[in-house]
Amino acid sequence: MSTHAARVPRAGISLQVRLRATARSEWVKFRSVRSAPATLLAAALFVLVGAILMATGYRNGWATMSQSERTSFDPVYTSLSGIELAQLLVGALGVMTVTGEYASGLIRGTFIATPQRAQVLAIKALIFTVAAWVVCTALSFGAFFIGQSVLTSPAKHVAIGDPGVLTAVFGGGLYLTLVGLLSLFIGVLLRRTAAALIALFVLLLILPVAAAMLPSKFSSNLAEFLPSNAGGQIWKLPQSGAYALSPWQGFGVLAAYVAVTALAAFVLIRRRDV
Amino acid sequence: MTQATDAGLPRTPTPVLRARAAMGAEWIKLRSLRSIPVTLAVTVVLCIAFADNVCSNNVANYPTLGAAGKAAFDPLFVNLNFVQVGVIFFGVLGALMVTNEYGNGLIRATFTATPQRVLVLAAKTGLLGLVAFLASSVTILVAFLTGQAVLSSGHLPSVSLGAPGVAGHLFGAICYLTAAGLIGVFIGVLARSTAIAFTSVFGLFLVLPILVDKLPHNAAWKHAGPYLPSNAGDSLWGMRVQDFLGTTGAALTLAAYLVVLGAAAVVSLRSRDV
Repeated sequence: MSTHAARVPRAGISLQVRLRATARSEWVKFRSVRSAPATLLAAALFVLVGAILMATGYRNGWATMSQSERTSFDPVYTSLSGIELAQLLVGALGVMTVTGEYASGLIRGTFIATPQRAQVLAIKALIFTVAAWVVCTALSFGAFFIGQSVLTSPAKHVAIGDPGVLTAVFGGGLYLTLVGLLSLFIGVLLRRTAAALIALFVLLLILPVAAAMLPSKFSSNLAEFLPSNAGGQIWKLPQSGAYALSPWQGFGVLAAYVAVTALAAFVLIRRRDV
Repeated sequence: MTQATDAGLPRTPTPVLRARAAMGAEWIKLRSLRSIPVTLAVTVVLCIAFADNVCSNNVANYPTLGAAGKAAFDPLFVNLNFVQVGVIFFGVLGALMVTNEYGNGLIRATFTATPQRVLVLAAKTGLLGLVAFLASSVTILVAFLTGQAVLSSGHLPSVSLGAPGVAGHLFGAICYLTAAGLIGVFIGVLARSTAIAFTSVFGLFLVLPILVDKLPHNAAWKHAGPYLPSNAGDSLWGMRVQDFLGTTGAALTLAAYLVVLGAAAVVSLRSRDV
């Protein structure tokens, strides 16, 4: 006992050791909760099957489309449009990464083991980001190639080297990752699964639909800066329009939402009890 | 003790007594779990406020419409458009009624007290159907009366309750919202977790129709697209989209979803553990 105590430095554990321990425990939690792999698998299914169904629908319906519909047709968005559904799942995963721990009470054990709460949150977010980005980027590329192989002539299709295409396909993975991060921080703010999910889905899905129902110019300009509309620019081919954000500008707007939510999460997680 | 039990109470409760007890228990849970009355109140208030907001936004925008836009202006459509979004909240409400119990473990006590699981589901469905019907009636009627008042005070075309087709469409909207609540209950039973249930409700009622409606409306689409629960429900309140089902077809489609999902919920409830 006393010999053991002598080997541990009195001043505490070095930062490097502590970070490694936190990273290891966060990774164990992330991969061992069954919902994480199941959710990513379901997201994969939506993205890949969505690419097949949407591309098939357009290829078969191409003859009935009007000239203006054909001009505005975006083959990249079509093959990636499973992302619209997958963002629900990645968002739910982000929320549950945090709220699951609050629901089971594990968060108390976590913060007793590592009282540096900001460090726990930072490592948690980092592990989530890496895992989500790797999976979602792979899915985005997979969906693109599947979609383009289905969209044969006369339907419009593109190659990965065409202008803007690589950005859009790469952006699909980035978009889903940021949506997941936003959800994770909303989970920290609200701490309860149901409340956090409703807040997230209202922000991502209901507000754009609601804004589209308001006919005024003001609301349509505002709608462009909603997180999903702005962030969605990066995984579509650039559209012309008076107020259209460019892909990276839109992505920046979404990143700003994530940054503000993250700031609030880091402040609150240190102040509130668990 | 033994004597009193033998003399005073029947050995096996009659089905009527059992059903009454199950209804009583569900009613206590419904009104005392904070999240359900809160969701209900927020749903009604938000829906009415949003409907009025859409109407006043249309009043502001009306002078900018061209002659064709003015001729096509449909005061009932503008007023009831919020149903597309409001339906989500009814679905969420129904899901919460079930997943709340799985989340906090109360479901074990419920099934210990009433091992007739189908009876519990029937009581939940009946009660939620009643509450959703009352809430949606209040929502639709108040939204209609205030929305038309906003339109007529802005000197826009408006309709009265007695105008042909209006009462039927209002009733259709009420039925759609109630059906969404019931579908939410069944999804809750199938999913058992709040996160999966909410994700399914948002995916089914909000994201899927947006994706499917984008596809070219060729012959294949006409055999599938109109039968989505949201598209069938939207035809009930008179959203005039080309290729949508007529009132009878839409009502039968929604009823079929209720029967199929209800049957799936019964099977899953009886065969899985809690």
